[in-house]
Amino acid sequence: MRLSDRVTGSFVATLGALATYGGSQLPPVPGQDVGPSVFPMVIGVGLILCGLMIAFGIGHSFEDEAEADLAAVQGPSQEAQPSEPLSYRLRALLPPILLLFYVYAADRIGFVPVAAVMIFISALAFSAKLRVALPLALLAPIVIHLIFYKLLRVPLPPGLLPMPW
Amino acid sequence: MNELVEAFRLVLAPDVMIAILLSSIYGLVIGSLPGLSATMATALLVPVTFYLSPIAAVASIIAASAMAIFSGDIPGCLLRIPGTPASAAYTDEAYAMTRNGQAEVALGAGLWFSALGGVAGTISLVVMAPMLAELALNFSTYEYFWLAFLGLMCATLVARSSPVKAIASMLLGLLVACIGMENPGGVPRFTFGVAELLGGIEPIPALVGVFAVSEVIRAIVSPEPPPLPSRRFGSILAGQLALTRKYWRQMTRGNVVGIIIGVLPGAGADMAAWVSYAMSKRFSKEPKKFGTGHPEGLVEAGASNNASLASGWVPALLFGIPGDTITAIAIGVLYMKGLNPGPTLFTERASSMYALYIIFILANIIMIPLGIVMIRAASSILRAPRATIMPVILVCCAVGAFATGNNLFAIILVAAFGVIGYVMENNGFPVAAMVLGIVMGTMVEQSFVTSLIKSDGSLLPFFERPVSAVLATMTIAALLWPAFIWSWKRLRPRPQEQAL
Repeated sequence: MRLSDRVTGSFVATLGALATYGGSQLPPVPGQDVGPSVFPMVIGVGLILCGLMIAFGIGHSFEDEAEADLAAVQGPSQEAQPSEPLSYRLRALLPPILLLFYVYAADRIGFVPVAAVMIFISALAFSAKLRVALPLALLAPIVIHLIFYKLLRVPLPPGLLPMPW
Repeated sequence: MNELVEAFRLVLAPDVMIAILLSSIYGLVIGSLPGLSATMATALLVPVTFYLSPIAAVASIIAASAMAIFSGDIPGCLLRIPGTPASAAYTDEAYAMTRNGQAEVALGAGLWFSALGGVAGTISLVVMAPMLAELALNFSTYEYFWLAFLGLMCATLVARSSPVKAIASMLLGLLVACIGMENPGGVPRFTFGVAELLGGIEPIPALVGVFAVSEVIRAIVSPEPPPLPSRRFGSILAGQLALTRKYWRQMTRGNVVGIIIGVLPGAGADMAAWVSYAMSKRFSKEPKKFGTGHPEGLVEAGASNNASLASGWVPALLFGIPGDTITAIAIGVLYMKGLNPGPTLFTERASSMYALYIIFILANIIMIPLGIVMIRAASSILRAPRATIMPVILVCCAVGAFATGNNLFAIILVAAFGVIGYVMENNGFPVAAMVLGIVMGTMVEQSFVTSLIKSDGSLLPFFERPVSAVLATMTIAALLWPAFIWSWKRLRPRPQEQAL
């Protein structure tokens, strides 16, 4: 997702303005000039300045140079080009969605089934064949559970499928 | 002397030795996989360190990061894809050597000079740290403020991107650190009524999100790298002594540059490699051979990035200010294990410090045999398809973040920071600067506000003490440096234009 400097710069500046405003609203410490509001306000002003500079393209020349250096080493960028279909680029949302699914479902149905679903779906998204994705989804969660639950004592939720250890 | 014996006893404990061995193997494997960086290897290791003894925890971080920085050279050399950003500077050179049929020499040089560089960095840590500790005992909040600020500025200076965007990222990190109740007034700040945010945002979920989840996202929208052709290697270390004799000057220069860059708060191994490679080319007698498979730059940059790794621990141990993103993670572990960074660490916990030195040396020695095994196994490890590794990494991110506090909110943070990291990196905002901002935010604010309260709101005392004046000058110079470079370029026409 490549945005123009104007968009990212304005976003940074807006965030800075909000931080400054939010900071200024914080209650002061009685009998003292300097309180919890100072630091967010300093940062907010800094962000506003940076945001404006980015939006006006100041410092962009440094970026081009660094990119040229890196392109010389790694060849042209391997990121999906805008010409790729939208469905391909939307796959970028899959990892965070799977993490949120874990948060939602882990306590309800347990670690092993949730992890199996996560691994199966993401393996398919990486275009793994079924005969690779299925065994991986069945075995990997059990191994991870063994390491984290048994050896490291992380209280992973047992849910519907408690492990024998 | 007693402390040294005690240190050996600490290191030779079976749990520490096992931790070193296992985390070395782990670091070698993760570092060699393209897209999985040394920082990510360290971040995913943190939940594991919770359950280790203090020395074993630190040992596993030291071993894993040193190995990962070396093994990042392997895919760079064989596939022209750097395994870690620290290898990117000389990937082309190493790949050219492989094409010339010198893969053994290139990989051997990476291994040999990484190990020597690591030892040189450790020696600098041993020599420098106690000297600086004495100086640091006299530091007040003013010095700490400038030092932390200098670290943040260095992180923005070395980012290979627009300095304005780097500063913006750093400020974003500081803003994230503002969230929570840990502020001078003890009031909930930017929590928006969410109870989980009251405790602030822990650096670990943010790190895991920014460095690991965003890599998974990037991998999912980019094509699979080409498979590695099977090859048999000859002797890996043959010819390295001859190279050492021939290029000892370059090696020493690489070590020194790496050490200096490592000690600077905020600048780490990737920067050391880029600077050293450029330097090697500039001072070389045969600059034209660079890029065609010439080992000179490889020697210097390989010596440099591993040297910076050890010296990066100097500011981390003395001031709690990270030398790079890896030590940023390590500082969190030090606090957790009761080894709070600070100059008194060297007087009160001397045996732990000696143990740390021994671990560094040990890790760099076992790097050579383990590295040789790794190089020989590389063709099979690198053939593991992404489709099997990335899903497992994703689950490990979730479990690892959960383990930091046993709450599910951390996983939401991981997902959020994964997206933030991916979007930022794609738009030229360096995420390492943001991470340092998050890690150092509380410290910067505390030293800043305490100093302001002491000075009654006046800014003058920030510059009055001699050391703080020097640090302030350095910080302001770092802030103005990009503007200086920019106007220098403007005033001096480019060589191509002159030729026209």
